[in-house]
Amino acid sequence: MDTLSPRSRIGLAVSTALGLATLLTGPTAIAQNTGQPRPATSPETERRQMQERIDSLEQRIAELESSTVMSEPETRVRKKEVWVDENGVEHDEPVPGAKKKITYQRETAYRRQAISEKIEEALKGADESKVQIGVDGNIVMQYLSQTKGEKIEADGHAYELASADLFFTAKLAQNTVFFADVVGFSGSTPDEELVGSPLALNGYGARLEDPDEVNLREAWIQTELFDQRLTLVGGRLDLTNYFDTNRVANDETTQFIVGHSIGNPALGLSSNGAGLTAIYDPKGGLTFTVGVQQSSEDAKNLSESIYSLAEVGYRARFFGLQEGNYRVWYRRDDSTGVNQDAFGANIDQKLTPSFSIFARFGRADSGEDYDRFYSAGFQFQKGWVINPEDAWGLGVAKIELADGSKEILTEVYYNLHLADRLRLSAHLQYAEESAEGGEKIAYIVPGLRFQASF
Amino acid sequence: MVTAKTMRAIGGLVMVAALHIVGSAAHAQMKMPMHTTPGAIIPDPTQVVIIVNRDSNEIAFMDIKSRKVIAKTFLGNNVNPHMAMMSPDGRYVVTGGTRANKAYIIETATAKLLKSIPVGMAPEHLAFSPDGRYYYQGNPDGDSVSVIDMVSMTVIKTITGLAEPLNITFTPDGSKAYIGNYGAHWVGVVDVKRHELLKKIHIAEVPGITKLDPDKYLGEINGISNASISNDGRYLYAADGDLGIVGVIDTRDDKVIKVIRVGAKPWRAYMSHDGKYAVTVNNGDETVSFIDTQTNTLAATWPAGPEMTGVNFAAGKAFVISPSGFLYVYTMKSLRPAGRIKVGTNIQIETATTDTAEEKLYLANSTDHSVVIVDAKTEKLESVANVGLYPWGTHVMDSKDNYCH
Repeated sequence: MDTLSPRSRIGLAVSTALGLATLLTGPTAIAQNTGQPRPATSPETERRQMQERIDSLEQRIAELESSTVMSEPETRVRKKEVWVDENGVEHDEPVPGAKKKITYQRETAYRRQAISEKIEEALKGADESKVQIGVDGNIVMQYLSQTKGEKIEADGHAYELASADLFFTAKLAQNTVFFADVVGFSGSTPDEELVGSPLALNGYGARLEDPDEVNLREAWIQTELFDQRLTLVGGRLDLTNYFDTNRVANDETTQFIVGHSIGNPALGLSSNGAGLTAIYDPKGGLTFTVGVQQSSEDAKNLSESIYSLAEVGYRARFFGLQEGNYRVWYRRDDSTGVNQDAFGANIDQKLTPSFSIFARFGRADSGEDYDRFYSAGFQFQKGWVINPEDAWGLGVAKIELADGSKEILTEVYYNLHLADRLRLSAHLQYAEESAEGGEKIAYIVPGLRFQASF
Repeated sequence: MVTAKTMRAIGGLVMVAALHIVGSAAHAQMKMPMHTTPGAIIPDPTQVVIIVNRDSNEIAFMDIKSRKVIAKTFLGNNVNPHMAMMSPDGRYVVTGGTRANKAYIIETATAKLLKSIPVGMAPEHLAFSPDGRYYYQGNPDGDSVSVIDMVSMTVIKTITGLAEPLNITFTPDGSKAYIGNYGAHWVGVVDVKRHELLKKIHIAEVPGITKLDPDKYLGEINGISNASISNDGRYLYAADGDLGIVGVIDTRDDKVIKVIRVGAKPWRAYMSHDGKYAVTVNNGDETVSFIDTQTNTLAATWPAGPEMTGVNFAAGKAFVISPSGFLYVYTMKSLRPAGRIKVGTNIQIETATTDTAEEKLYLANSTDHSVVIVDAKTEKLESVANVGLYPWGTHVMDSKDNYCH
C-alpha cells in the first residue's frame, strides 16, 4: 500500500540496524541505543560476557543452518483483484470509471521454511496429483450349531470368508472426484446353506457376487455444486452408502455382521448398478437425498428396470438428549414388471456420551401382502470398553414375511481396536425361524472377524 | 530508540477496560488502565484489528471503523511472525518471529518497532501475565518458554524442560501459568513469581494397546495444544490429540478431576463466552464436541469440516473455521448445526478474532491476502483486500476470542 510504504521502510531500517548491532556487539549495543546506562564491569567480566554471547550466536547459527532452507525468496502466483480503467490501465485500488477484474500475478514472499516443511509440502503436492489407493481386507470365521428343530444342512458346519477391497480415488477437477471399488472374495458363508431363509448371517454375503472372481462393486464420479450444498454421484453405485445409513448399525466391517442389523431388507436392493444420486445438505440439520439405480443386472437399458429411492434426514437434539439422526425413506422398484413400493424409518440416538441406541422399521410390498421388518439395539463406544477405541453392541432383528413365516435374529459383538489398521471382533448370533404352521428352527452362530484397512 | 521508560512517560487518556487473559479465551476479574494516545497513528488500541502478515513479515493495523489498514510494522525479511497480541493496557503489541528466533515489541500508538529480542527456537504462541508485566513467548522447537520482562524488555528467564510448548494460559490472579505441551501428554504448571516449572499434570494414560501400533504413537505425537481456562479460573480444559480426550484440571490443586472422551484428534478447547461450554474441534473425525462445563460431560458431537483451526463465538452462535473455505455454524442455545458459510473457493482461511461487541468476526484469509469480516447475525461477508502477504491471524484488544492455530 503506497501510503504505508514509508512506515514499512522505517520498520525495515530499525530492524536491520538492530540485527546488525546484535551481530556485531551483542546486547550491549542495544543497551547503548536505548539509552540505558551500562553498568561498570571489569575487563574479565566483559570478556566472559562477550564469550558467552559468541557461544550463543554460534549455537544459534548452527541451529538455523540445521533446520532451515537458506534459499532465495519464495515466489508464488496468486489471484488478485484489480481495477482496469477505460484506457486499459490497471490499478490496485478502485478508481472512477474503472471496472473490477480478476487477474493472476506472481509475488515474492520472504518466508524461510524448515527443511521438514519443504519436504512435507512436496510430498503432499505429489500425493494430491496421484490416484490414492486404499485396501480393506476382512476374514470372517463362523460356526453354526443348531439348537432346535429339524436338522438342517448347515448344522455343525464351519465357514470362512476372506475378502479384499481395493479402493481407487482420484481428484479430477474442482470438487470432483472419481472413485472405484474392486472386490474379490473367497470362501463361504452360512447363508449359502440356509436355503430359503431370508436371514443374512453374514452381511458380506449380500455385497459379494461371484466367488473367486474380481468384481467391480462401485465406479462413480462425484461432484459438488451450489457452494457444495448439492452433491451429485453418477456411475455404478451402492445406494446403501447414501440411504438408510445409521451411525451405530451400518457397517459390516466394524459393527454387526448380521446383514439385518446393518441395513433394512425392505429396501430390497440386492446388487449395485448404474445410477445417480443427488444429496442436498445445507449443513443445517435437514438433508434430502434422491437416487435411481438399475435394479436388474440383466436389464438392457436404464428405463427397463428402475429402482428409485428418496430420503429425508434430520439431525437434532430432542428433550435435552444428545444428538440423534432420524431418517424416513420411500422406494419404488419395477424390476418385477410392476411397481412395488416400500417405506421405512431409521433412527440412531445417543443417550449418553458412550451409549447409543438404534432402530429400523420397513414395510415392503411383496405383491399380495407386505413384508415387515423391525430391528433395534444399542452400542457402547468410548465407555464400558477395554480399550478407548473399542465398541460393542447388541442388535435384534425381526422379519415378518407376507407368507406368514417369521425370523428373529439376535447378535452381540465386541470389536477390539488392536491398531488403527487392525481390528478383531468376536460375534455371537442366535437365530430362530418359523414357517407358518411349521416347526421352529433355531441355531447359534459364534464367529470371529479380522479387519485390516490401509 | 524509544525505551520503556519513555513509553511510560507518553501521556494519554487513561480509561478502564476489561482485561483479557491472553493465550486463552478466559477473562480476568481485575481491571487495569488502558492507554490511549491522542494524535498518534493509533490513538485508541481498542479500535484496531491487528493482522499478522506471515510472508510480508509485518504486523498490520486495520482501523475497525474505516476498515482500512492504517499502519504496518515491518519486522525484517524471513522473520515470519506467527501470532500477535496486545499488552493488557494496549500500549504494546508483541509477536514471535518464527524463523528469526526473536520476539518483537511494537509500540501501539506509533506502530514503531521498539525492540527485537532473541528467544528460543521457532517462537510461535505467546501470552501476557494479567498485569502486563511479563510476556511469555513459547518456543516449540526449542522446548522452552522465554520470559520477557516488559519493563526492561529483556529475557529474564528461559523455562526449559518442556516438550513443544504451544500455548500458555495464565490464571486470572496471575500466580500461575499453564503450558500446553504438544510433544507430550502433560500440562506444565509454572510459578509466575519465580518463573519456574512447578509440576507436570499427567492428563491421561496412554492405552496399553498402543504397543501394537508403534507407528502411530512413536512416529508422531499430537499431545496438548492448549489448556483453556473457565471464566472463573477454576478449571482448565486440556484436549489431547492422540488420546481423543479432554482432561479437566482443577486449578486449586492442579489435579485432573475428570477425563472426557470427545471426537478423534481434538486440537484444543475453545470456551464459549458465557462459560457454559468448552468446544473442541476434532480433526480426526471432522466433528466438533460441546462439553457442558457445569456438569463436565459431553453435551453433543456434530459433523463439521476438515483441518479445523478455531472456534469463534458471536450472536449466540459458534463459528467453526475450516481452512477449506467454510465456517460451520452451530446455535449455542440448542447446540444444533445451523448451516455453513462459504467464504470462498480455492482459498485457505486461518483463524479469526471476534470484536468486543460480539457482532463481527475478523477472519484471516491467507492465500487471498485479505481479512474477511463476518457479520455474526446476518452471516454476510465483507472482504478487506491486500492487507499484506499471507495474513495468518488477527487480534482485537479485549476480545474473548484471541487465539492462534
